[in-house]
Amino acid sequence: MKALSTIRLALMIFTVSSATSSLAAEAWNIPHEKAVVLKGRVVDALCQLKGRCAPDCGSGKRQLGLLLTDGTFRLVAKSNIDFAGSIPDLIGFCGKEIEADGLLIENPAITLFFVQGIRADAAGSFTPAERFKTDWEARNGKAEEWWRADPEANRIIAADGPLGIKGLAPKPKP
Amino acid sequence: MLAKHRCDGKSRPFHLDEGSRMTIMSQWRAALIVSSFIGMAVPAAAQDGMRVTVTGEISDTWCTISGLMFAKGTAHHQCAIWCALGGIPVSIRDAKGNLYLILKIGDDDDSASNPRVARMATHEVSVDGELLERDGVKYLLVDRIADDKGVITMTHEEYGIQPFGN
Repeated sequence: MKALSTIRLALMIFTVSSATSSLAAEAWNIPHEKAVVLKGRVVDALCQLKGRCAPDCGSGKRQLGLLLTDGTFRLVAKSNIDFAGSIPDLIGFCGKEIEADGLLIENPAITLFFVQGIRADAAGSFTPAERFKTDWEARNGKAEEWWRADPEANRIIAADGPLGIKGLAPKPKP
Repeated sequence: MLAKHRCDGKSRPFHLDEGSRMTIMSQWRAALIVSSFIGMAVPAAAQDGMRVTVTGEISDTWCTISGLMFAKGTAHHQCAIWCALGGIPVSIRDAKGNLYLILKIGDDDDSASNPRVARMATHEVSVDGELLERDGVKYLLVDRIADDKGVITMTHEEYGIQPFGN
């Protein structure tokens, strides 16, 4: 009886620790997606592929990825924030090992990783990959939809139109 | 009138600043010290690619593969600007559906949130550059944009403005 209680307690502890330390990636039902945790070193893609390196992995201006222990390079393309990539989430870990929880999408046209959570400490919790919004709001102020409030985006759309052709406007909604 | 943009940036040979007091050796020593601190040592896997000319539409890579919306032409122009400025990788999609992920254009190594690239969203372009293939991705180092026809694929009448209709 006592042994059974001990096993039950051990199972409960295991369940709780698993829930706090492993964030299972949310499925998006994207063709070819697969939930995985990648473990690797954060590197700048241009540096990794071509040896064309810059200090601090390009200081947030370059595409980043994970160099896995088996030598595979996975480009990390997307974060949890709508219309935003993961560079703000990764740049602070340039050259360091991390674990990234997310969706590996092995589309025949291209293989990309959509990161949903990051941790540097294997025993710690995953931090949601949402840094883009924090950084954007620090520069531009709060906005419900960052993309509609982005000054650079609005400059480009004002110049060329929402369809990309000057003078061509979408039909008004009925 | 279609927006025209031409980039004739050519690779410049590496040269030392003649006015610098540092010798070649001290520059290398400084570079090694810096790289050892910030983990930017030149990787052993650096490779030479293949010279290519690619023709296709400047596309938002995520929207193209996620299948969550119609990601072509005028209907997707605005969304592609948002994604490019949000730092999502930008690719050229050719007529066969191949995606070539852009890592640089000319001497401009900024491949994330680059307004110059965002302005070309959904443009039909022809570029010359170097193709590097690695682990399921075709990376493109663009040397020059040989032609930019602007946005020529009219999709908004059928699909509206993606993804929200405005």
